[in-house]
Amino acid sequence: MTATILADNLDSYVQDPLNPVKPNVPAFAGQDQIPDHVPPELIKSCGLMFSPEFLASPHDYMAAMQDNFPPIFYDVTPFRNSWYLTKHEDCLFVLRHADIFRNLEASPFPRDPNDYFFFIPQEVDPPQHRKYRNIVDPLFCPAGIMKLEGLIRQRAQDILDSFADQGECNFNTAFGRPLPVSVFLDIMGLPQDMRDTFVSWADIMIHSQDQAEIAEAFGKAIAYLNGAIAEKKANPDGGVVSLIANAEIDGRKLSDKEVFGFVCFLWIGGLDTVYATLNNIWLWLAQNPDRVQEIIDRPNDIDNIVEELLRRYSVTFSTRVVMKDIEMRGVKIKKGDRVMTILPAANFDPEVFPNPLEVDFNRPRKTILAFTVGVHSCMGGHLARMELKIALQEWLKRIPKFAVKPGAEITYKPGGVVGPAAVPLIW
Amino acid sequence: MPKVTYVQFDGSQQTVDVPLGENVMRGALYNGIDGIAGECGGAPSCATCHCYVDDAWAEQAGKAANAAEADLLEGAASELRPTSRLSCQIVMTDALDGLIVHMPETQY
Repeated sequence: MTATILADNLDSYVQDPLNPVKPNVPAFAGQDQIPDHVPPELIKSCGLMFSPEFLASPHDYMAAMQDNFPPIFYDVTPFRNSWYLTKHEDCLFVLRHADIFRNLEASPFPRDPNDYFFFIPQEVDPPQHRKYRNIVDPLFCPAGIMKLEGLIRQRAQDILDSFADQGECNFNTAFGRPLPVSVFLDIMGLPQDMRDTFVSWADIMIHSQDQAEIAEAFGKAIAYLNGAIAEKKANPDGGVVSLIANAEIDGRKLSDKEVFGFVCFLWIGGLDTVYATLNNIWLWLAQNPDRVQEIIDRPNDIDNIVEELLRRYSVTFSTRVVMKDIEMRGVKIKKGDRVMTILPAANFDPEVFPNPLEVDFNRPRKTILAFTVGVHSCMGGHLARMELKIALQEWLKRIPKFAVKPGAEITYKPGGVVGPAAVPLIW
Repeated sequence: MPKVTYVQFDGSQQTVDVPLGENVMRGALYNGIDGIAGECGGAPSCATCHCYVDDAWAEQAGKAANAAEADLLEGAASELRPTSRLSCQIVMTDALDGLIVHMPETQY
């Protein structure tokens, strides 16, 4: 293998957001491309995200990874080979050492290497990273999100009004999708009539396995967002697209590529994750009416309830590129390797969360990995928490008793955001 | 605007303006002050904005604001002391103008 030569290219890589260049990260895939330093007993193909075993019940599958696989192993797939980490402690270590584990090529979406851009702030390292976060953090911090509570509640009530008296719905399309996406559009300052179009593009980008289809959907999104950015530069408003389009760091305006990479990243991040989270949680609620009653009976504990549900139903993963040789749990991981923190599995680490599959609203507060940790922690985490809280409160006010529609078969969407394809409910 | 002095573990210190209503964790982040990670952004769901309130300010700053803060402090990476707080849970008021907080050795 030429792993060492390829990895040495990383040393000379300069990350300049004003002149974004595609990092030359070794990309190995398949059985033929396993670096020599990987011990044979740690080579696995666990089937995360796509296998029938995973898709039968993803969170049970990820909880069982604690017993069925070594805590660190090398996963081989036709798409990408990578170390997989499932221990809470190890995931914290990786995510908290941004100098050793860098967020290079963090988004899998196809970009033109000759006209490259960074997804900002995700793919920018410290110290520049914080400058971008400071632009939007006042809006996305807890105090900023609290100002949106009334708006989010109104959106939730309006959406519930549209179907609450019908006695049944597909949760995903009736509520799980419209709530976070309409709130996101409000925050970004984008028109509500783009809601379903945006979702369809994002759905293809995140869940399709057809590269041509992904590129086409992404192309449409790029064209739309560039138009929206131009419009907000000409006519600034109070939305986040306008805020970014007209922002400055270090006394200069953001470049066109910085603005686009920032807006595009928020666009992707805002459309699918809360949606999947709500779908997972409502399936659990529909199957556990006694726990629904417990939530109704404990209104003052709503923050702990939200945190525990986010632990139990985390929906995504986080990948890093290793910048220097390092040993973890006796496993030699080398420069140029990729590591993926299996966040939902780490939230089932029994050393940190005993009896991990049990939803227990009385757990002591510990660091959950739903939003990762470290400098790249999800900036939308507080928004997600607020949306989940309001969704629970408003839904249970209107529809306190509900169940999965008899005969409905629950299937899961393959891909990097984990959730059921449909949750048919009756009440 | 109220001022907060952040004292690093090595003894060096910086004094900056932190607006009323803003929290002490964010005051550090916005001013590029090291020693406070604040990685969850103030949920609170981590303990990486741990600080020791200066003894002279302990009474004004108060104790852990809620059970979540107390739980998280139990798991903080550095030694827990009577004046330990999560700085994201200390919100600036006029009464806290001049507040001094000390950084722990490490946040994780």
